[in-house]
Amino acid sequence: MINSLSTTRSVAAMSSAILSDFREMLAEQAEYRELLYQMTARDLLVRYKQSVMGFGWAVFMPLVNTVLFSVIFTRVAPLKTDVPYPVFAYTGLLFWNCFASSLRFAVISLSSNAVLVTKIYFPREIFPFSAVLVCLVDLAVGSSVLVGMMFYYHVAPSWTVLYVPLLLLIQVIFTAGIGLFVAMANLFLRDVKYLFEIVLTVWMFATSVVYPIGEVGGRLGMVLKLNPMTPIIDGYRATILRGQPPDLVAISVAGALAVVTLAVGWLVFHRAEYQFAENA
Amino acid sequence: MGQPAVVFDNVWKKFSRSQRFNSLRDLVPAMVAGFTARRQSEDLVREEFWALRDVSFEVQPGQALGIIGPNGAGKSTALKVLTRILRPDRGTSIVRGRVGALVEIAAGFHPDLTGRENVYMQGAIMGMRRAEIDTKFDEIVDFAGVSEFIDTPVKRFSSGMNARLGFAVAAHLDPEVLLIDEVLSVGDLSFQEKCYERMQRFVQSGIAVVFVSHNLSAISSLCNQVLVLNHGRPAALAPTHDAITVYAKMVQTVKLESTGGHAIALQLMDQAGQSVSELDAGAELRVRCVSAPVPGASRLHSELQVRHLETGNLIYRCQSQAAGGNPIELATGERFESMWRVQANFGRGHYAVTSALLNDEHRWVAVSAPALLTINERQSEQAVVFLSAACELNVLTGDERPARR
Repeated sequence: MINSLSTTRSVAAMSSAILSDFREMLAEQAEYRELLYQMTARDLLVRYKQSVMGFGWAVFMPLVNTVLFSVIFTRVAPLKTDVPYPVFAYTGLLFWNCFASSLRFAVISLSSNAVLVTKIYFPREIFPFSAVLVCLVDLAVGSSVLVGMMFYYHVAPSWTVLYVPLLLLIQVIFTAGIGLFVAMANLFLRDVKYLFEIVLTVWMFATSVVYPIGEVGGRLGMVLKLNPMTPIIDGYRATILRGQPPDLVAISVAGALAVVTLAVGWLVFHRAEYQFAENA
Repeated sequence: MGQPAVVFDNVWKKFSRSQRFNSLRDLVPAMVAGFTARRQSEDLVREEFWALRDVSFEVQPGQALGIIGPNGAGKSTALKVLTRILRPDRGTSIVRGRVGALVEIAAGFHPDLTGRENVYMQGAIMGMRRAEIDTKFDEIVDFAGVSEFIDTPVKRFSSGMNARLGFAVAAHLDPEVLLIDEVLSVGDLSFQEKCYERMQRFVQSGIAVVFVSHNLSAISSLCNQVLVLNHGRPAALAPTHDAITVYAKMVQTVKLESTGGHAIALQLMDQAGQSVSELDAGAELRVRCVSAPVPGASRLHSELQVRHLETGNLIYRCQSQAAGGNPIELATGERFESMWRVQANFGRGHYAVTSALLNDEHRWVAVSAPALLTINERQSEQAVVFLSAACELNVLTGDERPARR
């Protein structure tokens, strides 16, 4: 009896501590919202200034991959898809690229800004968050090519594109959550960024980016269905290319998972934050 | 007095000499522990050491606290705890109001961005709103004196320009608490003067300032209280002059230990021949130096040096022949004594007195350890010399003009 009472009490204490942490986290983000904007603008500006192609990279990367996979899956090992394969692949690659490059930037965002991390205080979440925002800009640029391809292949959009912002929101929440974890991990262990590169490659093929995942059956297929990125990428194709609503059950599960990932990632990040300066 | 703006209450902070987590095996449990509870372990394990041990102080609005101490004493650590970059292992650190931190002031600069872009970025890092930077922008650029280059990428800036622009942004913050870490060393003399004035104005405008520096003269004219740290322990928390005395003595002891034995023993005395370490300005100071036998030296001279500790400047140097002491020759087994008498016309502060033994070619053959002299003086606000000033104030009535003779 006493035991269960103290357990209840400690659970209550823990949840009130967690609640106050969340209040603090959100208040800090509100206070430093200007910095998030500036940091994003800085990263965009720097990328634009440093490279000849600037925003062209945002189009170039998914386009090259589309050509590659189109050759493989239409000539070498023909794959049956309900929409022309290049549009199928580009849609998948465009949104996957947004996810993957956000995380590539996020994973090094703390360690490459070590000077700032050790010298000046501000909520460090801003680094991975701005990495995500930067890639959203790339996504906007890259989607212009998608519009062109839809014209070329006569794929007409319907009202279901209104689902896209919802899908994108879920993707951003999920990306931010993972981004917090990997940024933090790479600060403590510098080889995380190499490990994560391999994870991303495997993850891409475990998601229906360049082929329909339904083709994979058996136990492996079951495992792959747990991947929240699959219903998101499938959702984009359904709503943009086929004029169908997304699989609402799968999307709700993915959405819930994304929110949990962000909440846990943010809380762990916030509580580990004071150790960053000692490890950067 | 109201609520202090800064409270540092029995703060302990430990560091590890080695990397904290070396493998995933260590990291995962630590992250789990960090998630379930804020870790409050209080014992030293493995390679850990205390960077701060039981340090406490308070700063009221309108007051300035200086923190001094030898390298590695924990000064910057204390400041990082105040700025919330580090969290103390024990004790609490409270800062009330908007915090401005002048630390590594060009830290946020990106080399490929222009001065203008970096000003906005740095401002945002320090918590300024865009509109606020907009209104202060011209003032900031003016202060830094880089208006011609403001649209040039900062990688083409000289390091001085970089630092000036960084300080300029920080100096236009509107803080309630200002934390400064050794920033007066940037830029040329006239810019340093400008920074210094700016900081004085901050203190006078009623904000609380914590100032970490090795520049004792800046500390002594800016701060009313000084904390002396040594190996993380508070050695003194006292009014500026007293604290600097403690620090100067500490540094002297360190110097003696590190140079080992000296060939010259040096003694400071007053007019009555009593050993002293403190004197009133203008009083007579006697310096007696006795040296052990010097092998192979013939005609010997003595030299007296006085160094101002707050600035580190050599302010006086004189050789015995110029002061009437003819060179002498020593026979084997004889020792050498020089007795100096000087008028201690030094300003209030701390001085290191040294004596050297020179041969006929005016080369040093032996040198004494510096002896610490503290000068008490109440007349001047700031001085390195004692001018024994006298002043008369008169009221003039009507068109009466001062009489000319």
